[in-house]
Amino acid sequence: MRKIFANAAVRELLRIVLAVSIALLLGLIVTLLVSEDPWGAYKAFLVGPLTKFNRFGDWIEESITLIFLGLSVAIAFKAKQFSLGAEGQMVLGALVSGSIILFVPIESAFLRITVALLAAMVVGFLWGAIPGYLKAYVNANEIVTTLMLNTIALKLYDYFLTYKIKPEGAGYTASDFLPNAYRVPSFIPKFAGNLYDMFSRQTNITLFLYFMVASILIGWFLMYRTPFGYELRMVGSNIKFARYGGINTKKVIVLAFAISGIFAGLAGAHLAMGIHNKLILNITVGLGFEGIVVATMARNNPLFVPLSGLAYGYLRAGADIMERASDMSREMVLIVQALIILLVTAEGILPVIQQRVGQGSNKGLSKVVDSPAATEGGSHVI
Amino acid sequence: MSFSHVLQSIFSALFVASILRISTPIILAALGGLISELSGATNITLEGTMLVAAFTGVVVSAYAKSLVLGVLCGVLAGLLISVLLAIFHLHLKTDIFLAGIALNIMATGGTIFLLYILTGDKGNSSTLASATLPFVQIPVIKDIPFLDTVLSGHNILVYLSFVLTWLVAVFLYRTRLGVHLRAVGENAEAAGSVGINVLQIRWIALLLSGFMASLGGLYMSMAYLNLFQRDMTAGRGFIALAAVYLGGRKPWGVLIAAIIFGGFDALSNQLGSLKIAPQLVQVIPYVATIVALVVYNLRQQAVALERMRRFQDKELTSQEAGGE
Repeated sequence: MRKIFANAAVRELLRIVLAVSIALLLGLIVTLLVSEDPWGAYKAFLVGPLTKFNRFGDWIEESITLIFLGLSVAIAFKAKQFSLGAEGQMVLGALVSGSIILFVPIESAFLRITVALLAAMVVGFLWGAIPGYLKAYVNANEIVTTLMLNTIALKLYDYFLTYKIKPEGAGYTASDFLPNAYRVPSFIPKFAGNLYDMFSRQTNITLFLYFMVASILIGWFLMYRTPFGYELRMVGSNIKFARYGGINTKKVIVLAFAISGIFAGLAGAHLAMGIHNKLILNITVGLGFEGIVVATMARNNPLFVPLSGLAYGYLRAGADIMERASDMSREMVLIVQALIILLVTAEGILPVIQQRVGQGSNKGLSKVVDSPAATEGGSHVI
Repeated sequence: MSFSHVLQSIFSALFVASILRISTPIILAALGGLISELSGATNITLEGTMLVAAFTGVVVSAYAKSLVLGVLCGVLAGLLISVLLAIFHLHLKTDIFLAGIALNIMATGGTIFLLYILTGDKGNSSTLASATLPFVQIPVIKDIPFLDTVLSGHNILVYLSFVLTWLVAVFLYRTRLGVHLRAVGENAEAAGSVGINVLQIRWIALLLSGFMASLGGLYMSMAYLNLFQRDMTAGRGFIALAAVYLGGRKPWGVLIAAIIFGGFDALSNQLGSLKIAPQLVQVIPYVATIVALVVYNLRQQAVALERMRRFQDKELTSQEAGGE
């Protein structure tokens, strides 16, 4: 027994499962307090996404976006850069990829989609590089700069959508639908027959599913199997030490922000080309900080991001169903989300498991002074 | 509307007055941000604190039919966010940024959630008859043209924000607690070694910070507007944080920085009447924030370099003196 607990990964997993359970329990208590039919509401929340095939599809689609966002946040947070810029990078990714599919006259669908995806990645990279550069070379607080850049990106999106992209004379602010010939195909090939019919009729899961899997593997490889990944983790665990060790910390910080932007750009492309198939107002609404909870639950490890992304996507999908099926509003999931972040990151809560096998912690002032690494846990896992 | 019209309206008394009105919540929150920043704890929950205070003030004042109770509960609710931040950051060792992000999310979600329960509406509290903070006519000034529009007839919190700036300056630089607070922010270990209770100081700093931000929130929903709207703080808590840096982490500097932001905001409202797309005008304050942050940090770097150069010069001369 002692041996199992000594395994850092198992310990982490227990911590996270416990944290999520406590958060869900508190969610249940809130539901009991305010709902007329608390059990019905909570049941819709917990099992809703599995009750119908199209709901299952919604869950997976939502999770794909969340996993891209989680990867984006994990990379920045791993270097201990608190970038909140995913929303801005995402909305620009959506804008650029959607516009290319709509307006760039490339004959081949394969090429046009590829160009759109690359453009989303490039714009995410560049928009991410700005706060990275400002942090590395000017020491500008990244929380402030990324939040400002988010608003700027959202306004730019609004501007282009309203004045350039919206078809003339349309009474709504949205683009035309992406042309059918240039949509990203379903994730199941046509020759799969029945299975293809079943999935493509009821769900909208596209090839983005595979792009997502590739992104996870690339993210993991980058972080744990490349020199850059090593430098990234060094900067995250002790930047002074990294600098003394000869690592170009400035370059690493800029790249951490910029690469994080690539994945957020892809999340935007998924919104435009995978989920909505057009550009709409407020396309990223409610997704701004969701990557943070996904990355936090995964302890900033790309391999665990899909697990936490699916789990959190499930809660979100459940909350939507609960809102439609009962008197509870979906914002309850935000409260649960905040609780999960707090419980998972509080080194002082749920310490029991760690302390029993831990080497004993130094108590006293130094603990207050150097706030401990929020993202430390992940580095032990692999 | 032509360009000259816009110029005219910018140089009008009404415009100056609107700058004061728009700046007030930023000033109040920024003062809060300043106090915690100087104690060495960056408080990014200013945004959530404002939101919670704005919401609670409206709801309690409407249900209890009492302005005083509304204000009191609004401040207490805002303080609750600070208490949670202090507990998680100072005692449970959560990273302050992550705890802050979580509490902001909780504030956004929690206010909308409760608004829906209370009013059945997720947008705003227009169905609640909430109270308003008093507006003040200043005796002599209200009879002087121009000055009356600029200075008189504002909400009490507009004036209070200036008084509080002065009080914060006195607190930070003229009181024992203030000096201790800054010492903790400068170097917590050194401060601890001379017997200052670091934990206690940071608790006080976070609570004061929450108090100021709560006032900013109350101003939003009980003076600037007369109701609560979802996400009504719209990033002001973060702009306030930027104002702390832009203002050189000094009370009067922070006040001026907050007014500059308020000015850009007011300007973007005015420019909106030109034939420019509103989205492009609304971007101005946010771009200005980034530029300001960069300028401030570059200046800081220059100061640090200068200090290092002077230190090295001194070392060299003392070495030479020792060698002779």
